[in-house]
Amino acid sequence: MPEKLTFDAIVVGAGPAGISAAIVMARSGLKVMLIERGRFAGSKNFFGGVLYTHALADVLPDYWERKPPFERPVTEQGYWFLSPDSVMRVMHKSQHYQKDPAESYTALRSGFDAWFAQQAVSHGALLITKTTVVDGIRDAKGRVIGVRTDRPDGDVYAPIVIVSEGVNNLLTQKLGLMKADLPPRLIALSVKEYIGLPAKEVETRFNLSGAKEGMAIDIFGDATLGLPGTAFLYTDKQGISIGVGLLLEEFVHHKLKPYEVLARFKNHPVIKPYLAGGETLEYGAHLIPEFGYDRMPDLAADGVLVAGDAAGMVDALHREGTNLAMTAGRLAGETAVEAHKRNDFSAGFLKGYRQQLESSFVLKDLKQYRRMTDFLDSTPHFMSTYVNYLNDAALRYFSAHGLPKRDMEDNIIKMLFQRRSFFGVARDMLKLLQGMRG
Amino acid sequence: MSERTHTPLSPEVQATLPNVNVDDLLASIKYYVDEDYAHLWIKDQAVCLKCADKPCLAFCPVAVYKVDRQGHTMVGYQACVECGSCRVGCPYHNIAWTLPRGGNGVAYKFG
Repeated sequence: MPEKLTFDAIVVGAGPAGISAAIVMARSGLKVMLIERGRFAGSKNFFGGVLYTHALADVLPDYWERKPPFERPVTEQGYWFLSPDSVMRVMHKSQHYQKDPAESYTALRSGFDAWFAQQAVSHGALLITKTTVVDGIRDAKGRVIGVRTDRPDGDVYAPIVIVSEGVNNLLTQKLGLMKADLPPRLIALSVKEYIGLPAKEVETRFNLSGAKEGMAIDIFGDATLGLPGTAFLYTDKQGISIGVGLLLEEFVHHKLKPYEVLARFKNHPVIKPYLAGGETLEYGAHLIPEFGYDRMPDLAADGVLVAGDAAGMVDALHREGTNLAMTAGRLAGETAVEAHKRNDFSAGFLKGYRQQLESSFVLKDLKQYRRMTDFLDSTPHFMSTYVNYLNDAALRYFSAHGLPKRDMEDNIIKMLFQRRSFFGVARDMLKLLQGMRG
Repeated sequence: MSERTHTPLSPEVQATLPNVNVDDLLASIKYYVDEDYAHLWIKDQAVCLKCADKPCLAFCPVAVYKVDRQGHTMVGYQACVECGSCRVGCPYHNIAWTLPRGGNGVAYKFG
């Protein structure tokens, strides 16, 4: 009978949330096991994407000296509203973004997460890879006291387990923290291609002055066939990340093939020139939990805390997620450290974690945008109606037809109400406002 | 599913979707295939036989699901990127979805 393997804390999943928790706890002297099912931390992780340094700095104040493998700082960002043949661009470029370190960076997760996990190791956490957690272990009173892994004699014990397993939160569900699995209307499926291009090409095509500039664009409208969802185009060091995501329900209902939607987007006359000659170095897919504030699992129970995608900590409107995860992971880690000081791992004490999240941007933002997914779901025409209208109106506005400008303006107003009744527009705007204001 | 009714996509929009050879995309993904354990399986083939729409054939981003001549659903778990779409998206929750054993499955090079 092997000796019972015991740690001060177990973290399930080496993503932004779990690694943040592990760093905080290891730094405080706790004996931490960070369990990752992939071959290395980051090998299962996939995103758009943009990372935000504010959350990283809170976890690792000296992160910059530790040379994180970012791609490019985001020095220009904004929205493209794409109709089938046109685009309206609303972009923001500013000298204020030109900082070392910058506020946000594009990144590729396989490299970034591996680096981030290495920081946990350098703080003293034990990183165990190639190990899948298959269940929690609970005592007679139902308190979580460890996890069962798929290794022989793979039970590991700790008075506290931090579950940061990602969007497919099987363990969270097994532990009874989430009552029901999610419906496909509350989850988005995103597919992405990482397309390799020489740095010089990336810089020329996106009008970047060098490696210290980068662009992050969120794209609405025709990219998703006008259906509820968004697309994105981010510049990397030597390549472009391009992807498209829709509420999973749209793929299911319309029997759409995600890779065809992406290929169609890549072929759009506005998009195609940016990708010309590039080579697809990697394709992948990931779910994005968009169930929001009202459907989150219990974040704390006896001996367990949940953080990151597993708890639905994503602000889809602002394409934020990793920063919410890092912040939640840090707060979970701090709560675990405090619990050790008091030797109290009860739900009653651990619920303090939720209160800290409530007073941070994490749950404040999720609360504010709690109706955003409902907005998308209840106004499925929104993207196509208004994005196409914007482009048609702009075409009319910028074209001179020898028509008095007053007639042109009347025309533009009329074009809107031909597409949607006055009350329809009023209802859509009210819904949008509700989605934004919470 | 939500209560709302979906307006079907117009045939003109449908026609703008290009054909894609998904194998070309899969070739860009690195996998460590567990030959001894299929982490996905169909719970009950009879349910699939009664499913007229078979949306899994479309929405799986790596085309794991195919139908054989008898109408049985075949699961090519080797191509799975573990996104979870089928776990959530199968209208009958007829797909058993587990995690590959430690170290197996997709291993993104870039992510």
